[in-house]
Amino acid sequence: MNALRRHRALSRIWASDPGFRGWFTTVNHNDVGRMFIVTSVFFFLVGGILAMLIRAQLATPRSAFVGPEIYNQIFTMHGTIMMFLFAIPLIEGVAIYLLPKLLGTRDLAYPRLTAFGYWCYVFGGSMLLFSLLVGIAPDSGWFLYPPLSSTLGQPGINSDFWLLGITFVEISAIAAAVEITVTVLRYRAPGMSLTRMPVLAWYLLVTVVMILTGFPPLILGSILLELERAFGMPFFQVEHGGDSLLWQHLFWLFGHPEVYIIFLPAAGVISTILPVMARTTLLGYGWVVAAAIALGVLSFGLWVHHMYVTGIPHMGVAFFSAASTLVAVPTAVQVFAWIGTLWKGQPQLRLPMLWILGFFVTFVIGGLTGVMVAIVPFDAQVHDTYFIVAHLHYVLVGGFVFPMMAALYYWLPHVTGRKRFFKLGEAAFWLIFLGFHVTFLALHWVGLLGMRRRIYTFDSGQGWELVNLISSIGGFVATIGFGLVLVDIIVNAVVATRGVRNPWGAGTLEWAMPTPPPAYTFASLPSVSERDPLLKEPRLGVGLAKGEGFLGDPSRGRRETLCVETASGRPAYLVTFPDNSALPFALSAVTGGIFLGMLLKAYWLIPLSILGIVALGVRWVWTTGADRDRGPMDVGRGVSLIPAEEAEDPPGWWGSVFLLLADATLFGSLLFGYAFLWTVAPNWPPPSYLAPDPVAAVLAAVGGLVAVAAFRLAARALEQGGSAIGWLILAALGAGAVGAAAISVMVARPDFTAHAYDATLWVIAGYVLLHAALAVLMALFLAARGWLGFLGPRRRGPVRVGQIWADYLLVVAAIGLGAAWLPGAFA
Amino acid sequence: MTEILRISVPMTFWLAAFSAVYGLQGFICSRHWFEAEVEGLTVARMALVGAWLLVIAVQVAMLAMLRAERWASPEPTMRFVSVTLAVVALVAAVWSLVPVATTSICY
Amino acid sequence: MDTLSTVHPAGPAAAVVAVMWWVLLVGSTLIFLFVMILLAAAFRQRSAPIGPAHDSGRERLWIMGLGLAFPLTVLAALLAYGLVVGERLAPKPHPDLVTVGAEASQWTWRFTYADAPGRETWNVLHIPAGRPVDVEITTTDVIHAFWVPRLAGKLDAIPGHVNVLRIEADEPGEYHGVSSEFSGPGYRNRRFLVVAHPAADWTAFLNGEGMDE
Repeated sequence: MNALRRHRALSRIWASDPGFRGWFTTVNHNDVGRMFIVTSVFFFLVGGILAMLIRAQLATPRSAFVGPEIYNQIFTMHGTIMMFLFAIPLIEGVAIYLLPKLLGTRDLAYPRLTAFGYWCYVFGGSMLLFSLLVGIAPDSGWFLYPPLSSTLGQPGINSDFWLLGITFVEISAIAAAVEITVTVLRYRAPGMSLTRMPVLAWYLLVTVVMILTGFPPLILGSILLELERAFGMPFFQVEHGGDSLLWQHLFWLFGHPEVYIIFLPAAGVISTILPVMARTTLLGYGWVVAAAIALGVLSFGLWVHHMYVTGIPHMGVAFFSAASTLVAVPTAVQVFAWIGTLWKGQPQLRLPMLWILGFFVTFVIGGLTGVMVAIVPFDAQVHDTYFIVAHLHYVLVGGFVFPMMAALYYWLPHVTGRKRFFKLGEAAFWLIFLGFHVTFLALHWVGLLGMRRRIYTFDSGQGWELVNLISSIGGFVATIGFGLVLVDIIVNAVVATRGVRNPWGAGTLEWAMPTPPPAYTFASLPSVSERDPLLKEPRLGVGLAKGEGFLGDPSRGRRETLCVETASGRPAYLVTFPDNSALPFALSAVTGGIFLGMLLKAYWLIPLSILGIVALGVRWVWTTGADRDRGPMDVGRGVSLIPAEEAEDPPGWWGSVFLLLADATLFGSLLFGYAFLWTVAPNWPPPSYLAPDPVAAVLAAVGGLVAVAAFRLAARALEQGGSAIGWLILAALGAGAVGAAAISVMVARPDFTAHAYDATLWVIAGYVLLHAALAVLMALFLAARGWLGFLGPRRRGPVRVGQIWADYLLVVAAIGLGAAWLPGAFA
Repeated sequence: MTEILRISVPMTFWLAAFSAVYGLQGFICSRHWFEAEVEGLTVARMALVGAWLLVIAVQVAMLAMLRAERWASPEPTMRFVSVTLAVVALVAAVWSLVPVATTSICY
Repeated sequence: MDTLSTVHPAGPAAAVVAVMWWVLLVGSTLIFLFVMILLAAAFRQRSAPIGPAHDSGRERLWIMGLGLAFPLTVLAALLAYGLVVGERLAPKPHPDLVTVGAEASQWTWRFTYADAPGRETWNVLHIPAGRPVDVEITTTDVIHAFWVPRLAGKLDAIPGHVNVLRIEADEPGEYHGVSSEFSGPGYRNRRFLVVAHPAADWTAFLNGEGMDE
């Protein structure tokens, strides 16, 4: 088979549906990655227009352009859109598009999940966009502090759009994070050990693990605040045992890591592009990897530095001041590793490099002002002033937008297959770079002169007028620059001539394929023996197209790739990806029913949606697996591997592990909230405790243990060639008993509006109940699969997936119900 | 997975310990019986400093383990990354909890 | 002009932070220029030696020297400075201390005086000049913040909690204050005034003389 016939055969297998329909059924990372990127750029434009409205309003004192009601919506939505609907989805889109190519594989771990995440993002984002268009957008600032955002300060529907829309969008972040984690750890080219991974893969791994552990506190906070607003559960109402500070802790437990979730992928982009622009390799790969990981973890220990002025005792804020200064060190390691790389090589001032220089200038200033506000007494003066506004824009624009512009121009030839012809990009760079600094540099000073953020207009006579006028002019200059970039991209994508395959002479694998990339990415998978394979073997792509790598034979007619062992990169098993499907679109639409039901207070929609989710979910999982043992199969180059469903640790197991990491973080945040209210909220302890219920306790303990044991016995029965059905039904009964015990807690304390204690008991019990229901569903599903012959002596993987969910149920039931009953037992 | 644990456990332990000491300090300030004094030092101060020293001891132990042949990574770069991160975690434990010794507790 | 300026301090707390700002600005500017010079110098024409042996020397210089030792030294000094100043500003016991209450709500501030029970003022806080004053801050509805930039940093008013802020005015006079935590549509006009009295006038105020609100 020659390269052209292989290309045709693979294209047929991997092709998305033609035409309009293909948009809704594609699961290919090339398509979904680009859809993510384009949609996030759309939201960037919306957020940018809002920024222009802000600067128009503040250009002169006592402006009558908009009043406070509209202005409050504008700045709230500007922050919300830029953080949640632009930055994070853009990162997801770039990661989805690039990662399989960097790692030398053909797609992400769960292609349908990629598409599902995209549609959740579109639907959730649309909710927020709708609220903006009709003028009922959230208006309490992007961090939505209650009581202002709760029913006391905002009795309308505005805050609900935020809480529900953002939570809907977060589903896509969690989905992308799970699959990127599994992809980096398992879906790589054979031979690509962890230390041979491109440095960007390390950065993305750190980023997505941070999403898995950083987003759940916000999701929990949003759920709690929505429950307070919709049903009067008083988590944040002090007179009923709540505390508004709980929201601030949950929000910033998310919000600070969020800043580094945005910065780290950008730093990864710089670590990738900068050495290529300097015709050398990155200085201190191991140091940079360690710095990225250190930065990721340290950033979770900084959240209170957003709360220095909330009255937390001096020593408490001192811890966070110390940690906040320390986090500058791994940042410095990276900055100096990059400058050292430039010294090591021969840097060339091409357009991506220009943007990287813009990054250095801007981000170093933002980092230095960041160290300033880490110091408590100084922060007490500038907190909530324009000094902070200027600082955060230096960090986010300098540390994210500028590197993303470098990435845009660096990978544009990959996406379009063309080389830039019209050189508008350089002019656009100078407009944006200078415009940005004109906008924000002097705003530091008006902050020090006492200008608070979020005021809709200001009086003259404080020395703020000139700075604000100049700032507004700078903002409009930068906007013209962004417009020029858009024109530049469109013109070059449409009219420029075809380019060469690896225009920058880079060493990473994404350039070892035709551009624009075919749907299958690599015609055969490379065997990797160093970090920059293309530097040693520039014609690697040609060999791969000829089928010299793994899986070059498309004769099985399926979408196939390889899973490797995590550390060594040795091939482990063969994965068959699902085909095009409308299920992701349908499932996210049905999921939207829950959010719509909450928003419109049409609560009948919620059980209906849950039924729909279960039905579609069963349908989704049903299509995986095989009805017979297939045994090892040829994957090319003389290697045979078992298929994924016969592995002890199939992809579903890995996905479950990391989904449970996020789930456990959510549960941990819930327990933190419980303990926090207990120690800090003024109206505690509650008037009375839940009386322990021995019957329910025994039911939960026995049921949980039975479920855990029955899953293991089911796996063993399969291994010995027997049937697992009986054990699986027993497991379902055990999990059901745990669910019944959880319900007993709710029944015992029916009034969840009485005290935050009661409301918390309901949420803990509801959480246990949800996991019991999941375990029941999984056990019954597996029993049905077993009955139809989809489980076998080699095909035990699905049971092992169910088993870890049952194990998790036992843990949360023990901790959750224990936390509910123990105080009453000791009282 | 073992390699992932080698590079993630020391830093994760720092985070857990850091949050726990912050929690302990919050708990101390919400209760007043820690103000009892033994030989000029309050019970609160002794508890906080004790926790700090304990955290440092655990971090030192983890660093030693990651350098010992038995637990160290066989691969040089991963070994470098894991040991470096254990050192970072140790430095972070000393640095970020310094206020337990230098700062007044509940003002 | 400059009635809300943190760099025109009129009390000891604001003064140490104003000094801190100038220290931070000078230090940051020097570091910024240093980094920019290193960056620009990378672009000069030269032939760099290549190879792993040279890389380890570069790692020592760029990463261990400039990436680790340099920031750790600077940040340790800065953290110590911050902790010492923070300790000095804490509302610790003081023989000359005056205590007042500040209760925020949408859209007023109500001030009370420990030395004159029953005395209340709205949107104007009276204090003695030259004496430390502890402001006990709370709120009846949403979160607000008490901030008199020329006297001290800000502190939030949180429902159900009382936060204590130490302020002091060096000289008698009027000082402008604002609420600096976003609190809804009326946020812009959340202003109040702090009036610092000479000792004699303060006694008169406590006795309820000549201060009509």
